[in-house]
Amino acid sequence: MGYPYSHDLEVGTQLSRHFGDERARTLEGWKGLGGYATLPKALEMDPDAITEVVKNSGLRGRGGAGFPTGVKWSFMPKEPNGAHYLCCNADESEPGAFKDREILRWVPHLLIEGCLIAARAIRAEHVYIYVRGEFFPFSAILRDAVVEAYEGGYAGEDILGSGWSCDVTVHLGAGAYIAGEETGLMSSLMGGRAEPWIKPPFPAQSGAFGRPTTVNNVETLAAVPMIVAEGADWYRQWGTDKSPGTKLWCCSGHLERPGTYELPLGVNLRDVIYEVCGGAPNGKKIKAVIPGGSSTAMLTDDELDCSGCYEGMAEAGSALGTASPIVMNEDTSIVSAMRRIAQFYAHESCGQCVQCREGTSWTAKILHRIEVGEGTAEDLDTLYHLCVQMTGRTICPLADSVVFPLVSSLDKFKDEYEALIKR
Amino acid sequence: MGDQVKKPLHPAAASSQPFQVTDLRPTERLFDDPEGRDRLDKALSRYPEKRAALLPMLGYAQERNGWVSDENMAEIAGELDLTPAYVRSVATFYTMYNKHPVGRHLIQVCTCISCHLDEAEEVFQRFLSETGARAGEVSEDGKYTVIEAECLGACGFATAVQINDRYFENVTPEKVPAILDELD
Amino acid sequence: MSDAAKQITLTIDGVEVSVEAGTTVLQAAEHAGVVVPHYCYHPGIPSRPAQCRMCLVEIEGQPKLQPSCVFPAGDGMVVRTTSETAETARKSVIEFLLLNHPLDCPICDAAGQCMLQDYAFETGQLRSRYAEAKMVLGRDRVAEDILYFGDRCIVCTRCVRFMEDIAGDNALVVAQRGHKAYIDTFPGRDLDHAFRGNIVDVCPVGALVHEDFVFKARAWDMDSSPGICPGCSTGCNIEVNVKENQVVRTKPRLNPDVNSYWMCDHGRRSLVMSNRGVRAEAPMVRQGGELEPASWNEALAWVAGELNGSSGIALVSAGVSNEALFYTRALLERIGVEGGTFQVEQGDEVTLSGFPKLKLRADRAPNAVGAELHRFTRADGLPEVPDGATLVVLGDAISNAPADYGANAGFFLYIGSHLFPAVGNATAVLPAATVAESDGTFVNYEGRVQRFHRALRTPGVARPTWMFLSRLLEHLGGESGVREIDDAFAAMATGTAGLEGMSWAGLGLRGELLSEAGQPAVAAE
Repeated sequence: MGYPYSHDLEVGTQLSRHFGDERARTLEGWKGLGGYATLPKALEMDPDAITEVVKNSGLRGRGGAGFPTGVKWSFMPKEPNGAHYLCCNADESEPGAFKDREILRWVPHLLIEGCLIAARAIRAEHVYIYVRGEFFPFSAILRDAVVEAYEGGYAGEDILGSGWSCDVTVHLGAGAYIAGEETGLMSSLMGGRAEPWIKPPFPAQSGAFGRPTTVNNVETLAAVPMIVAEGADWYRQWGTDKSPGTKLWCCSGHLERPGTYELPLGVNLRDVIYEVCGGAPNGKKIKAVIPGGSSTAMLTDDELDCSGCYEGMAEAGSALGTASPIVMNEDTSIVSAMRRIAQFYAHESCGQCVQCREGTSWTAKILHRIEVGEGTAEDLDTLYHLCVQMTGRTICPLADSVVFPLVSSLDKFKDEYEALIKR
Repeated sequence: MGDQVKKPLHPAAASSQPFQVTDLRPTERLFDDPEGRDRLDKALSRYPEKRAALLPMLGYAQERNGWVSDENMAEIAGELDLTPAYVRSVATFYTMYNKHPVGRHLIQVCTCISCHLDEAEEVFQRFLSETGARAGEVSEDGKYTVIEAECLGACGFATAVQINDRYFENVTPEKVPAILDELD
Repeated sequence: MSDAAKQITLTIDGVEVSVEAGTTVLQAAEHAGVVVPHYCYHPGIPSRPAQCRMCLVEIEGQPKLQPSCVFPAGDGMVVRTTSETAETARKSVIEFLLLNHPLDCPICDAAGQCMLQDYAFETGQLRSRYAEAKMVLGRDRVAEDILYFGDRCIVCTRCVRFMEDIAGDNALVVAQRGHKAYIDTFPGRDLDHAFRGNIVDVCPVGALVHEDFVFKARAWDMDSSPGICPGCSTGCNIEVNVKENQVVRTKPRLNPDVNSYWMCDHGRRSLVMSNRGVRAEAPMVRQGGELEPASWNEALAWVAGELNGSSGIALVSAGVSNEALFYTRALLERIGVEGGTFQVEQGDEVTLSGFPKLKLRADRAPNAVGAELHRFTRADGLPEVPDGATLVVLGDAISNAPADYGANAGFFLYIGSHLFPAVGNATAVLPAATVAESDGTFVNYEGRVQRFHRALRTPGVARPTWMFLSRLLEHLGGESGVREIDDAFAAMATGTAGLEGMSWAGLGLRGELLSEAGQPAVAAE
């Protein structure tokens, strides 16, 4: 269940059931809680059968893009001609997102089990769990769990006597949001600057170390054991047809009960904000919500009645992203909040593509100028122009990420910008 | 760190040791002693290419020295068959490698959006005034460096502060003096 | 022909063009006569990060603009490089690049041949919307002879990738990230690679400049001639940039068979250095013990009358043209001197790993093969001159000779451009144009005959060697002298094994390999 709060609307699957329970961190404790029950089953399955279950479950990537996980796995060559790799993306850095760290610190063995089952499915010989460097306390828990898994025969040579071997390495990043983009992650893993590369080549053809590679988010992989154990239909009891299953929602900002909750996909966003999280503290009204992490379009309070799933949030003009609503109450300066978001992306641009390198920093500077009362009427035109020129022009979507919240804030809160400009 | 030193490091854990630490073991050269060799060899054993050990070794340099010097970069380059320039290119890409010495306590206040909506700016200012440090610089007593950080991934626990390898969550300006007391 | 490349046909800006499968859209556009502006792409650098986003074009069926430098051309594809979306995107890239770019074109060496200036002009953006303070990076040194102007840099990384992909020395890198990114070396380790100068050539703007060229000449003040680098036996194709009759710079000129887009730094300096030294500006003949200036007619007539070949020796240079060597051989035959030697200065060989055919070769002269073609033999050291012998010296063969060298000769004919100390002993001096001042050909290490063209006026009345030697031969009863290089080449080609069938015009600017009859022994390299 959720952490640090829980709510009746929640579904407590294996994913979140043990959040807050320190016993789950150790191998012994985790086994006592029913852990590592699926791996033996998966070891007896044909790799493609595992992929098939996951494909049928409709599990979609939880890192933000929502690509069907089973389909992604099926891109990997079936007849290995050398090494395959699995990269677990634990570089959780999207402002507003803090769900993966709950998995890392509360149920590390669940993640390891999920990684191994996925590795089996894609015929990988090594799993690299790329954890953002800042997460020292959480990566340490995961690291100790990996060592325990080795000692318990769950990782390394001849896993559980099956004859199948797979290594698991926890690899720390060092402060770069863009390492969370899959090709950026692989660039970084290989000892480089975390610069995304232009596809093709796709990771399943030539990824980490030039070998076929799959990159999956922590939450995605942590959902795998229960799906393989219980079956696709079981998983589909929650969610919508296009967005089956449950999702960790991590809610922050002006909320009575911020935190992570496991909710079925398709949950009403208004319920998430008002029911589950208790709305804004002190009876304040809510001005805006950025529903899927800072790179998604803002919604006003009036727009919150939408289905919290991939297609529902798209219909609402935003995106599910990482399901990380950032809530802003009526006292919030939208311009100031937007400036802070733009500042983040300017700081995190890798600097390859011109539109992103120059555009993110220009955007942040203009917003700062407006914020301090030195804006001009032309600035809004320039910002709109930047929104066009930073969309779909670059190797990776970092530049687009600043556009979604920016253009929605300009459209929906123009009066706030204009008030500051006229001041 | 202290309790775990006895047990030999598992190779799977060689690339995930905290590198923003309080217990420094300053060393000019990294790989002349058995500990350094061990770390290097174990990290190398985890990857099909030498270069992949670069981030772990930059982290190791910082783990021992508190920062990554040019000399360390050149030494790592030599071990991994890279040019020093390449190593510097990578080191400067990532914000967590300190390219200059920092205070014994590196205080990183998240001021990104969710913490911004909380009291991050006030917390940041309070850390500055309590420590007497100027933003990004080492305080005169060498104890503190206070900087603004981008999202620390603890948005539901705003304001989040990272001090060396520890997280402090739900920090308010009022809690700052007690946090500083606890560090000493 | 089973692997014959498949041809595909596509339409670019309304022009139908057929190209081999695997060609990129950008290259296909070149075939269609359409230039797609680009910065990070360089045809000689294999890595293509597609990061400058300048070459984005519209391709039917693609939801987004695509980088034409990497996007493969497809059969039936319809590409628009000038659609409104593509043009505004390009214009926008220029605006982004100019945000922090200094307005220092008036003092920038790249002005006039700057891709940023060109496209900014083309897209007509006179006023910047950027109201913020510009970032200032200042300048830095990346090599003993190369400066980096950080503010001008657009971080296209061509220089970084040249060093990595072509030079094989990852010593130049991008430091920092995002809008703070810049190009840098490791502290205390400047670039020292023998081919580093190419980073200046690949820079599409004025960020990297040779220090010895800074503020020296504007692009539009320079004349340019195609030349051949005289620095070693590779024979890199070069462009000789001249201002006020001085070579101020040489740059590599594309020849895929010889040097691709590159040249070494030793070569880069070689022609600039040829500006130095004391020149022979007028013919001189020894009258009453002193060398006295004379007109060409007087001097040639006098030499023709006095010169004889009794027990003569000849020293020639591997740094002069085939045509000079040919007429020298003809003169020696006429007066009965046999043999003749040349020396070649030796140096360390350096290979360009990304284009291994290109080396700074040990033979530090451009025409050793040509000298052998004309039956001169390689020797170490200067031969002793027998007392009273005839001594014929061509070019810089005596540049390092002691001042009394040749003083005991019976007749000492010096044909050359510079007044070396030993020239003081000459009986007659015929002042020659340097390779920069004359048309001619060299034969490189693998037997490639290549043309170079006159870039400078000669000082005084110095003339190309082939021109005045052909007239000297006329004085000695030969055919009438030649005035044009193609005639000189034709005369040479007729009688020289290896050059059969070649003509000056036919050589073009890429050169031609010697026929088997003239192939040098080293060509097997």
